[in-house]
Parts: sequence; C-alpha cells; structure tokens
Amino acid sequence: MRPWALLRLALAGTRTDTVRVLLTAFSAALAALAACAALTVLAIPTPMATPGNMVRWSEQYSNALLREPGLRGGTAFALVLLMIPVLALAGQCARLGAPARDRRLAALRLAGATPGQVTWLAMLETGVAGLLGTLGGLALYLAGHELLHRPDERGQLALPTDVLPHAGALAAVVIGLPLIAGLATALMLRRVITTPLGVTRRAARERGPGPWAGVLIVAGVAAFIVGWPVLLRRTVDGPYVGYALLLIAAGGLVALLGVVTGTGWISHTTGRLLRRYARHPAALLAAGRLTADPWAGSRTFAALLAAVTFGAGAAGLRAHFVAQDQLTRRQSRLAGDEWGANPFYLSTMSLVDLAVAVAVVIAAAGLLVAVVEGVVARRRTYAALTATGVPRTTLAWSLVWQAVLPAVPAILLALTVGAVLSRAFFGDAERGPSTSSVCEAAVQLCADPATRDQYTRITESPAVRAVPDVPLEHLALLGGGALAAVLATVAVGLLFLRSSTAVEELRAT
Amino acid sequence: MSQLQARDLVRSYGRTPALRGVTLDVDEGEIVAVTGPSGCGKSTLLHCLAGILRPDAGEVIWRGERLDTRSEAARSRLRRTEFGVLFQFGQLVAELTAAENVALPLLLAGTGRRAAREAALTWLERFGVAELADVRPGEMSGGQQQRCATARSLVTEPRVLFADEPTGALDTLTGEQVLTTMVRLARERRTSVVLVTHEPRIAAYADREVTIRDGAVEHSGFDLSALSTGGDR
Amino acid sequence: MNSGLMSTPHVLLGLLATGDKHGYELKRAHDERLPQARPLAFGQVYATLNRLQRDGLVTVTGQERDGGPERTTYALTGEGRAALDRWLNDVEPPYPYVASTLLAKVAVALLVADLDRVRACLAAQRQAHTARLRELTLLKHAPSATLDDVVAADFAIAHLDADLTWLGTTLSRVADWHREVRHEPAPGP
Repeated sequence: MRPWALLRLALAGTRTDTVRVLLTAFSAALAALAACAALTVLAIPTPMATPGNMVRWSEQYSNALLREPGLRGGTAFALVLLMIPVLALAGQCARLGAPARDRRLAALRLAGATPGQVTWLAMLETGVAGLLGTLGGLALYLAGHELLHRPDERGQLALPTDVLPHAGALAAVVIGLPLIAGLATALMLRRVITTPLGVTRRAARERGPGPWAGVLIVAGVAAFIVGWPVLLRRTVDGPYVGYALLLIAAGGLVALLGVVTGTGWISHTTGRLLRRYARHPAALLAAGRLTADPWAGSRTFAALLAAVTFGAGAAGLRAHFVAQDQLTRRQSRLAGDEWGANPFYLSTMSLVDLAVAVAVVIAAAGLLVAVVEGVVARRRTYAALTATGVPRTTLAWSLVWQAVLPAVPAILLALTVGAVLSRAFFGDAERGPSTSSVCEAAVQLCADPATRDQYTRITESPAVRAVPDVPLEHLALLGGGALAAVLATVAVGLLFLRSSTAVEELRAT
Repeated sequence: MSQLQARDLVRSYGRTPALRGVTLDVDEGEIVAVTGPSGCGKSTLLHCLAGILRPDAGEVIWRGERLDTRSEAARSRLRRTEFGVLFQFGQLVAELTAAENVALPLLLAGTGRRAAREAALTWLERFGVAELADVRPGEMSGGQQQRCATARSLVTEPRVLFADEPTGALDTLTGEQVLTTMVRLARERRTSVVLVTHEPRIAAYADREVTIRDGAVEHSGFDLSALSTGGDR
Repeated sequence: MNSGLMSTPHVLLGLLATGDKHGYELKRAHDERLPQARPLAFGQVYATLNRLQRDGLVTVTGQERDGGPERTTYALTGEGRAALDRWLNDVEPPYPYVASTLLAKVAVALLVADLDRVRACLAAQRQAHTARLRELTLLKHAPSATLDDVVAADFAIAHLDADLTWLGTTLSRVADWHREVRHEPAPGP
C-alpha cells in the first residue's frame, strides 16, 4: 500500500474516531509532561560535599523535595506514578468507538487487506495521535521551563527550571510513548485482525468473578505486616532490607490489584442482588449490564480506585505524622522544652494530597470517556427502547444505578485497604526514651559555663507510644470526592443520551 | 370510524423529503401492509404513525384526538401502553434474558415482577421459544431473537402493532413462521397491524396494501375480504 | 406449472408404480397429489394410457363391469418402470427459453401502444397477481390445509412473488424501455 493510501484509510473515520484521536493525543501529552518532569528531577546534579554543605543539598531550590538528594528519587517516582492514571485514561480513550473501528477494520479485511496492513493502519492512527500528543507535551514542557524560571528574592527556585534532562532521554519519551501505544493497539486488535468477520455472537459469561480478589488483598496486607518490622529492625544497609522493600512494593501492587479485581466481584454481586430484588425497569437494566460484564466496572474504575487507595494510604501516613508530632511535643514538654511540629512532613503531605487530587481528576476523565462510550456504543438498543415507549428518564436512571451501585462499595473497599496498608506499614507512632539536660536557673547563671553545671539537671523521658487516629475526616473527604467525580461523569454522560436515542439511530445498520 | 388516521403527512430529513403528503386510515383489527421500494418513505410513515417522529406538517389522529401534538412523554406512554413496536433487529437488550426482555414493557407499566414474568413466559410459549426464557439474545439465532422481540411487542396486548420489516433479516421459512404467529395472535385480539415491507409475499398477509412511492401513496389496495373465499384467517 | 402437460405420461407411470389402477382412480390420485395443478380431464387420461400401452410401458391386467361402465385396470411394465426411472434421473432444464405470455404481451404492447397504456397493462397485471398471491396465502394458512396444499401453494407463491418483483422493476424502467423500442433519443439532462 502506498503511504498516502495508508494515511487516507487511517484517517477515514467518523466523528467518534476524531474524538478518540484527540483524547489519545491529550493523554499522551499528559504522560509526556509527567515523564519530562520526572526526568528533570532526576537530572538535578548533587553538589560535592563542602564544609558548609556536608549533606550535599542543592541549595538553589526552595522546596525540600528537590533540595535533598535523598528525597529526589521519591519525588521522581511519585511523578512517574502519576502516569498510571494517565495511562488508564489512554486505555479508556482507545476503547472509545472501538466497536465501530473494529467493524471498519474488519471491512477492510473483507475487502482484501492483509492482517499486516490493517495492523499498520491501527498502529499508525494511535502512533500518530500519540506522537502529536508527546510533541505537544514536550512543547508545553519547554515553554513551562522558560516561563516558570523565576528565582524568588532569596535567589531560590520553586521548580528545577535550571536543569534540562539529557536530550536523548527527552527523545526517548517523545518517540517511546507513541511506540508503546502503537504496540498496545496492535496487541488489542489481535482478534479483529485474524477474522474479517469482525465481532460475532458470543456466549455470555455465566459464572461471575470468584472471590480471589479478597485473597489478593489479604496477601498484600500480610506482606506489609511482615515486611515492615524487617525494615525497622535492621539498619538501612543491613541484610534482607532489599527483600523487605521488594516484599512491600509487591504487597502494595497485589493489594491494589485486589481492589481493582474486587470491583468485578462487587459489580457482579450487586448486579445479581439487584436483579433478584429490583422492581423498576431502570434497576433491572442496570443489573443486566452489571452481571453481563462485571469487568467493565473494574476497567473503568481502576484508575480512580488506585488513586483512592493511594490517597487513603497518604491520609494514614498523615495521621501517623500528626501522632508522631504530638509525641515529640509531649516529650519536649516533659523536658521543659517547647519545640516539635516539624512542618516539613506535613507540607510534603499536602503535596501528596495534591497529587492524589490530580490523579482523581484524571481518573474521572477516563471514567467520563467510558460512560460516554457505553452510551454511544449502545445507541441502537437505546433508540429501539425509546421507540417502544421506554422513557428516557428510565434509561438515565439505569445509567446512574449502574455507575453508583458498584462505585460506593468499591470506593469504601479502596479506602479501607489504603488505610489498613498504611497502618500496617507505619505502625504505631513511638519515640524511644530520651535524655536531655535542662538548666533550671536564671538566664545569666545558665549562660555562664562556670555556674551552669551546678543548675543543670538531666531529665529522662520514658519511651512513649501512641496509636494514630483513624483519619476519618480525610477518608470521608476522599471518598466523597471520588463519588462526586463518579456522579459528575455520569451527569455529563447523560447529555449524550438524547442524541443516542434519536430515531435516526434505527436507520443505520 | 378509523382508529388511527394520518392526514397529509409531510416530513423531511434536512433537505431530503421523505413524505410529501400521505393520507392513510387504519381501522380497528385491520392489517395494513405499507409497501414500496427502499427509501420511498415507508419507515418514516410508520415512525410518524407510531408517534416516534413528529411530522413537519399534517396530522396524526389516534381515536379522535391529535397524536403528533402531544408531548414526548405522552407519546412514549402511548407507545408502551396502546402500541407495540417491532423492528427488523437490534431491539432486545443484550444483557437481559429473553423473559426479562419480554417483561420489560409490563414492568414499565408498573406490573409486579412475578406477574410480569408469568405473562412473559406465556408469550414466549405462544411463539414457541419458552425454553429460551433464561437465555440472553447473544446466544440465540436471529429467528429466535425475532420471536422474542415479537412476543415483547405484543405482551402489553396493544391496540396497534407497528412492524417495520419484521422478517427482513430471516430466511423464508423462519420469517413465515414468525409472521404467521404474529398475524394469528393479532387477529384473535383484534389488534391492528401496520406492516412495513418490500416483499409482495409478506404484504399478502395483510387485509389491504398501501404502496408508497417517492413519499406519496401510489396505490391503495382493496379490502381482502372482497376477494377472499376463505374465512377470517 | 406449464410443464404439467408434458409430464402427464410420467406422472401416470409414477402413480401406477404404487399399484394397479383403472382410469378413474388415476385421475383422482393425480388431482390429490397435485392440488394446485390444472385438473386432469378423463379424455386426456385415456388417450395417454392408450399411448403408453402402445409403447409397451403399461399393460392391461383386467376388465370388469359391475353394473356401471366398463373399467380397465392398468399395470406398469418393466419397460415402463425403466422409463420412469430415466425421467426421475433427468435434470429438468432450468428455463431453456424465456417464454411467458405475460412477457410477450408487454413486449407487444410496447410496439403498438403508448406508454400510459403499457403502464396500465402492467399495473392491472400486478393487481391480478397480488390478488392471486393473497388467495394462495389464505389457502395455505387455512386450518384445513394439508402439507400437500402448503407445498403446492408455496411453489405458486414463490413464482408469483418473482413475477410481482419483475412487474415492479419493469414498471420502474418501462419509460426507458419504451423509448428504446421506439428509437427515441434519451431526454436531455
């Protein structure tokens, strides 16, 4: 096939395809931005140790996350983690209008295109969209790099705008992300490409998902409980620390996987219960969809639940810091001192909360795409139902039921797992016994080295423990926010219901 | 008096006229075939008669009262209580079983679950697909799906059944079986049927044939009873 | 259906293959097996039987007379059975000639009449076909209909359906056809 013919066919789509291309480009741009930011943080050089700067801080930054070399790895990692909801969004975008595209590609196969040619077409579409997106992302990044380079009055920078990642690394992001997207598309299209007949009749899954999601969650929590004491008792460089870290990372992933797959089980179970007891057709329609494809819930909610789990864990961590801080204050007060409240950790937590909020918003965007896709893909059935007199409000309510019913328990589960994980990981707040010398005399006597010892008393504070509060307020805020995001996306999705129930949909085959 | 009347219906899609002044009466218990080549406007006529589409001009009168001027909600209510609607394909909800699909109009009308299911089973039985009650459409053949859809269109015992190429996707024998059952049950209940088709042999099941060409009535056939030698069947 | 005349000898041979029969029984069996065919006349039955006897395909096995007219009973000969087998094995040529009175009539009408008359002729024909199609559909779905009736009606319905489709198509292109026959130029764009 000549290149222009390939391009012509790759771009021969409907409005939905255009939207998909735009959204793919948009999510690719977001992913490129996150990747560039992470690379920039990693590119910050660590200065040589000097007598004035034994800890090798990069003093040109106002933010500790950038200043301290030990924290930079974590910061970069968090930025990379932000790519997860972005990639989930990209995955949702790829599904938008997928049935129509599959049919179009199958038609091309029927017209004589080879599997290779069709794969090329699909990869080209995703790849070109992704490339446009990453290029846009890069442009945005470079523009931001210039515009945000504003040292404050102390000559410090808020963002690492003084360094640029290696050009090769940037190129790898710009080229690599579209390549990966294209390959993922090729992988997803395997079934369509092998058969020119496209989608055929399929038997419904009769058995719902098993309860093994629970096993995953328990295993993840157990890994945390086992892994953490190992880390605690050994020094940072001691043996088993690597294993313990691996165990904890794997445990976190497994628990997250458990939450996401658990949504499949929740969808199926709520669907089954609803089907048995529902009195209204809207509930029956929702129940039918939930039991017929319980994994739709997992797919659409995955990114949101990951963000919520993460956020719940962060809330737990914050509670831990607060408890720790209180202990420190209490000990200091016993020692007659009045310090503590290291604001650094709490302000860092605010940054983490911001990242969680951003992740929830991105995940909600993915959810919106999924809801709209669900409505648009079923417009024929909806139009036929409307023609037979089913009111649009019934269809709208079925969409609300279908989204909210599994979302509520799933969000609760994600909150619980996140909180439990962080509790298992950080344990109780505790401080070992400490001694401090307090000079109990007038300032002049204490200032004089000759008389000071005379008045100095060594106080000993005992070891203290405190159980951090369950951060109910934070968790409620997080859960409420996630639910609000779900409701908002459904509300926007309902806007598409009117056009999807138009009688014209009955004419198209 | 006719229970459903269309007076000078005009309807366009953008600048393409689909109906240019169609007048048609449907009596109680009468089966009217609407025939004509593809794109002649016969489906549009059915949609206007059933209150799915509003005509640009002209009026649709249902039992003495204007239908086309009523609100969308009122027309929806009419469609699920007094009318049955049947299309060529794609009307069953893929995620619901056959019985649930057939029970849907009853549930919408407020019938209890148990009663709705029982009625659905009775109607599936009448179409010979009772054994498919708990099967989803994806696992049925086209003929079985259409039997279920026909059962659903009749489950509320409507006064008028609107059928748009109901056997268009079926082979001759299957189509004939679906159609025969549909026509027999409609006649037993004195349900009027508006049957849109392009096949003469399907139109032959009707009492009267109305041919549409280029958006206008070209020819309206005679009442079959004047020709027939057989009885009511 | 119009090949019925040509196949009458073979139909009679087939009916005799199920047992010896006299002329009246043969006529009755014929009309029963082929309900929608033109009924067989007695004269035709006897003329055909005479010809078959002359060719050695059937033979007379008995004559009786119990009060009424003389009845001759016929039986199939070995040669007759062979002839029947040959006929069953032969494939009927699928429409070797397009010969239809309807087609001929329309073609002639185009030569001698104006366009409106041809149209009227086609429309009237369509009306008649439609009426017959309905009649057969009713007959087929009558409660008393046997499978014999249904299969025979199906045959006729399929042909009428084809004729009606042809009539519809022809009505759509009759203007062009008329112009071609009359060697008139096509209308300008």
